[in-house]
Amino acid sequence: MKKAFLLLMIFQLFLFSLLAQTLPPVDKSPMDMGYYPANYPVLKIQDKLTEPLAARVVYSRPQKAGRTIFGGLVKYGEVWRIGANEATEIEFFKQVHIGGKKVPKGRYTLFAIVNESSWTFIINKENDTWGSFRYDPKKDVVRTTVTVQKNDAVLESLAMAFEKATGGFNLIVAWDNVKAVLPVTF
Amino acid sequence: MKIYLTILSFAFLLFSCNNKKESNATNTAKLNITDSATLARYERPSVNPYAAVDVSPMDMSYYPADYPKLKMAGSISSPPLARVIYSRPHLQGRHIFHEVLKYDEPWRLGANEATELDLYSDATIQNKKIKAGRYILYCIPHTDSWTIVINTNIDSWGLEPDAKNDVARFDVPVIKTNNSLEYFTIVFEKKGTTAELLMAWDNAEVRLPMRF
Repeated sequence: MKKAFLLLMIFQLFLFSLLAQTLPPVDKSPMDMGYYPANYPVLKIQDKLTEPLAARVVYSRPQKAGRTIFGGLVKYGEVWRIGANEATEIEFFKQVHIGGKKVPKGRYTLFAIVNESSWTFIINKENDTWGSFRYDPKKDVVRTTVTVQKNDAVLESLAMAFEKATGGFNLIVAWDNVKAVLPVTF
Repeated sequence: MKIYLTILSFAFLLFSCNNKKESNATNTAKLNITDSATLARYERPSVNPYAAVDVSPMDMSYYPADYPKLKMAGSISSPPLARVIYSRPHLQGRHIFHEVLKYDEPWRLGANEATELDLYSDATIQNKKIKAGRYILYCIPHTDSWTIVINTNIDSWGLEPDAKNDVARFDVPVIKTNNSLEYFTIVFEKKGTTAELLMAWDNAEVRLPMRF
């Protein structure tokens, strides 16, 4: 099944190259960026920074569009790129700790294995990649499992945001009625 | 109020469906679109408490073009050479000059965060060597040429380019195209042994050639 999907993607790539003469259209799942400290770029130009730049996430934002997301579109137990298109990128501008492990300063790819009540976040060294088709567990830096929270409200677009926490910060990932939090400490 | 919203969304529908219909919708749209914040509220299907969805979506372009897809398909093994991360404002019935941009005034080449240029390898642009690294890009559009500026004030919001941090400035000619491009677009194109950073919006197109 995975192979068939990969072939399909390659075929799409071929189609895409045929259409390469035209400029790229706007993505259905727009890309977005989140910083820790939150709103770092705005604070920077306003001279209102109170702590140095620590992290940035670059991800694409698919929409629910009436679908069942978790356990449907995103299958339980499978590695997910937490977004759409390019795999989600997380960059740490200084050394941090995740799941009790040291994560050196640098650029990583963030995946998750989603289950009904828990998510396993994966920090992986394979950068600049598309989806999770080439996911290689040998390139994992750390995995950490967190319990998910269920929200009453339904979130149409996948969202990520950083918030301050004791000794570091959290990355919040939320979509549909699910919220998962990845704790990061300095 | 509901009627107003219906008319507004109908106007949007017209232009998102067909470029040719754009001119019909332009007048209606111009009357209603006064500021982007108002527009943003109407475009969002629901409020997102964590991160609002931007009116000008972000996008990313690699060199080699489509690097992540090529990598996934297994047809490339060397690392990427460059990448641009930028936001894509759209015309919404306006014209690039003078309704959006003004000649001889700096522009962040996008929207929201400053446009980022990541060079994963040293590059040569107009005989000037630019070291591998993370930079921002902005431009100063003139009638016949645009000045493209590489600057080190990374992770900033694009409204106030600080010329003190300029690394290099390059003048490139503007090509006037026949078609109008709704969304601002930046891509890398391969031209022989040169990479061209193509920036296009409305009927203006500029290309900054670079070698790696």
